[in-house]
Amino acid sequence: MGSILRRCDTSRTLVLAALIAFATYGIARAETPAPASAPVCQGCHGLHGEGNGAAAIPRLAGQSAEYLRKQLEDYASGDRANPVMQNLAKPLTHADIEALATYFSTAEAPHTMNPSTANSAQLDLGHRLANQGSEIKRVQACNSCHGPDGIGVPQAAPYLAGQSAEYLTSALTSFQQRTRKDDPGGLMTSIAGQLDASDIAAAAAYFASLPSNAP
Amino acid sequence: MDRVSRRSFVASIGAASLVPAASALAVEQAPSAPAPSHTPLGTQDTAPVYLFFNASEARFIESACERLIPADEHGAGALGAGVPNYLDKQLGGAWGAGERLYRSGPWVAGSASQGYQLPFTPGELFHQALRAINRDLDSRGTPLPRMTAEAQDAYLKSLEGGTVDLNGVPSGVFFDMLLKMTVEGFFSDPVYGGNRDMVAWRMIGFPGAYADYYDSIDRHGVKFEREPMSLGEDGERHIHSDPNIPAHL
Amino acid sequence: MTQRLKEVDVVVIGVGMVGSIVAKELAAAGYKVVGLERGEARFTVPQFQSPAIHDELRFDIRKALMQDNTREAVTFRNQSSETALPIRRWESFLPGTGLGGSMVHWNGQTYRFQANDFELATRTRARYGSKFLDPDVTIQDWGVTYDDLEPHYDRFEYLLGTSGKAGNIKGKIVPGGDPHESPRSREYPTPPQKEHYSGAMFRRAASSLGYHPFPQPSSNLSQPYTNPEGVKLNACVFCGFCERYACEHFAKSVPQTIILPVLLANPNFELRTGCQVQRINLDSTRKKAKGVTYIDAAGREFEQPASLVITSSFALNNVRMLLLSRIGTPYDPTTAKGVVGRNYAYQTMSSVASFFDEDVFINPFMASGASGTIINDFAGDNFDHSGLGFIGGSFIGAVNTNGRPIQYHPVPPGTPSWGKGWKDAVIKHYNHTVMFSLHGSSVSTRQNYLDLDPTYKDAWGQPLLRMTFDFPQNDLKMAAHVTAKAVEIGKAMGAKEVAGSPRKGPYTTTQYQTTHNTGGTVMGGDPSTSVVNRYLQSWDVPNVFVIGASAYPQNASWNPTNTLGALTYWAIDAIKHKYLKNPGRLVSA
Repeated sequence: MGSILRRCDTSRTLVLAALIAFATYGIARAETPAPASAPVCQGCHGLHGEGNGAAAIPRLAGQSAEYLRKQLEDYASGDRANPVMQNLAKPLTHADIEALATYFSTAEAPHTMNPSTANSAQLDLGHRLANQGSEIKRVQACNSCHGPDGIGVPQAAPYLAGQSAEYLTSALTSFQQRTRKDDPGGLMTSIAGQLDASDIAAAAAYFASLPSNAP
Repeated sequence: MDRVSRRSFVASIGAASLVPAASALAVEQAPSAPAPSHTPLGTQDTAPVYLFFNASEARFIESACERLIPADEHGAGALGAGVPNYLDKQLGGAWGAGERLYRSGPWVAGSASQGYQLPFTPGELFHQALRAINRDLDSRGTPLPRMTAEAQDAYLKSLEGGTVDLNGVPSGVFFDMLLKMTVEGFFSDPVYGGNRDMVAWRMIGFPGAYADYYDSIDRHGVKFEREPMSLGEDGERHIHSDPNIPAHL
Repeated sequence: MTQRLKEVDVVVIGVGMVGSIVAKELAAAGYKVVGLERGEARFTVPQFQSPAIHDELRFDIRKALMQDNTREAVTFRNQSSETALPIRRWESFLPGTGLGGSMVHWNGQTYRFQANDFELATRTRARYGSKFLDPDVTIQDWGVTYDDLEPHYDRFEYLLGTSGKAGNIKGKIVPGGDPHESPRSREYPTPPQKEHYSGAMFRRAASSLGYHPFPQPSSNLSQPYTNPEGVKLNACVFCGFCERYACEHFAKSVPQTIILPVLLANPNFELRTGCQVQRINLDSTRKKAKGVTYIDAAGREFEQPASLVITSSFALNNVRMLLLSRIGTPYDPTTAKGVVGRNYAYQTMSSVASFFDEDVFINPFMASGASGTIINDFAGDNFDHSGLGFIGGSFIGAVNTNGRPIQYHPVPPGTPSWGKGWKDAVIKHYNHTVMFSLHGSSVSTRQNYLDLDPTYKDAWGQPLLRMTFDFPQNDLKMAAHVTAKAVEIGKAMGAKEVAGSPRKGPYTTTQYQTTHNTGGTVMGGDPSTSVVNRYLQSWDVPNVFVIGASAYPQNASWNPTNTLGALTYWAIDAIKHKYLKNPGRLVSA
């Protein structure tokens, strides 16, 4: 699967690959139409939530609806700090949030993987943190909650695979600095608190390198 | 940049198999063939390659297991779930050879409180018992697969309640082990070759090996609905089987 | 050819919960300590990681973390008149092995015993008269009181970060906790874990009947915590793979997550794994230990001399170590003489199943090992036993620890054991059943004891431990009584059907009933009825301490681990501040 997506260079191949990728889930997921409140999101996150890696704007396409809902609520309440997102989330009604979460969770967007500037040592470290964790740093394997190859576990943890490395870095850093306080059980805060900058960069680079295959 | 092995973490924990299933490897190298997802029931090999059971043992086991847990309106039974395959691989592997079993004699038939006291490994026990069973059924001209369901049940009940000696194995001991391993094959992680497509987990609503319920536990009384997940599945939801996971860390 | 090694100050046999704490304290105090662990080293990363650890077949059914029966087992019989036979596969109790010991795969249920338990003989006589007990029952006082142990309970709970709600702080009853508990000096280090749906149902029903439900004290933590040793733990995510499994999240309090990082960093401590201690060696007076003999993983025999020997292995193995070393007089049930192996006890487990309609979703798979809701109204001596004909009791609780389907698929009585009827019932009831755990006390008797088997051996050629045990009538009467009470709670929950399963005899090794084996090296004030004194020091060999639940004269209504933790700190205090300053008998015989 991965080799198909990495060789994409035409939009037609991209779309074909995305369709194959989504078709293989065994779950027919028709994209719902974008709700009225969507344009303000699409302006940064893209028409179908494909994200903008370099700008650390996360991919939303195919993300867990419960997770998207919670993040909008957390931005609105301030449990997750980000001046732009907080201002945009506050005026949303419950119905808006529901509609946006549903839309983006069913959105199909081509996988726009960042060209990797990661070296193989970083990817090795990232792979190890993802699959095994670190005894010295006292962190468990990311995949234990985030799913095999980081594809996410519904009602537990969002997908990380194919997410923007810049965004993942900023998310882990915000947990580390406690500007993001919405993690259940304080788990991500504990984990991020044990990692250093090179661990965070490695994990982010590794997950960014994986195909987006959320179930 | 090269993809690193998805399964290398399993190696570090001590699981015997390091090699992903052949089909997954083939997929990674064949750019034009999309990878199969968790394979729906019926499209995987319905006839496994039996390495432990001979042909007539396998026929008995398939029919017997299917009576123990039959297919019905809820879904597959033991046969459709791959339980005979599970049994075959376990009995033919380390567990069947006596992993974790205290094997020294003398051997004395004890009280019920004292548990299993035969010298047989699980593999030996099955071979001994099945030889006697098949000889008996052949002599009557009625192999289990050719009986009606009612007759099959009656035969199994006779094994269950009886003390018929099956080459040194009391029939009740054989039946108990068969039933126990059938339930294991039905409900264990599909990595072991049974519970195909997690069909048994789907029937009861058990979510499987990925298990973070920190938020969900607050939703008292709300049915938890999520695709079950196997410890052997990869990022494309393909389940790699590994019957050789050892019974130690 | 036995190789004699350089002498050290202390040898610790078994580096599990007790061994880790003892070794850490003594190494930190400047002593050279060697820890001999039979099993292998293992750590949260990589050995405990998921999803590989969430494998019911491997860890639950095949007992992958437990002692390997091919090398060492236990023989068993109900009565002395029978021949003991090997427990060829563990089922009833599951002894662990490896660095961190059984604590690695415990459920985290962290109760204290009550003041009454430590003076059970005296207080039972005082309340009910000396004729109340069956003459075969050999319950005893411990030689320490709850007040002696309270600061050590506190220290142990803060080491673990146990999550709970105090019910009695310095004599003042605090709402939300257990009003029956003996006074504690302060709150738990972390608040209770979240309540499971079954716990909430139980709580409402139990309250409606006038009982006093409280959250089960859990060492699967409710929030991140840094303990006084500086070691950090995470919050538990209720994965439902607790007992028999190791925790991937650093959220269960086990030696690896509470103390081993400190111990292993101390150069005064040396860990040797794969080392099977064969015996404690005594000098010609047989009143002084010279050290131990062990065989390593490659089969080489070593003699490790030491000034102080602490046997801190699992309760049953502590007893066996003394018997193999010929320390103390073995107990003989026919003469009632001797002490080593005497007063073996266990746990008397019953259950109640409450079946609900299919629109009531219990979600049993979301759980920690200790996220239950409990009442102690029928535990210990918390209720008047006059006229009942037994002592002791059970805690009763909705203790939902898992929904792992190979073992957990409750069905109502009368369900066939296989076939369509079975399958229908399993699907109908799996997510709609609440199981109560009734965790009952276990009195000791003249007839229940441990000794060495005359026939069966371990892989090193040494005799296996022989267990002679059956449930005393006292405990079966207790089980019937508390089960009837628990059934009423099930009915008060509005269940469609409630089925009580009180423990019945004979005791069988083929069904799991906890790994709470106690006794055999009992502590006390009188050497004719105890093996160790109140500081867990051998009466016979003063430089040997035996720290384990083998010290318990009988078992109480609660899991033994917290009390063992308290006894460990109590004993280590005495070792550091009394014994090592002036080696010799701490208590005159």
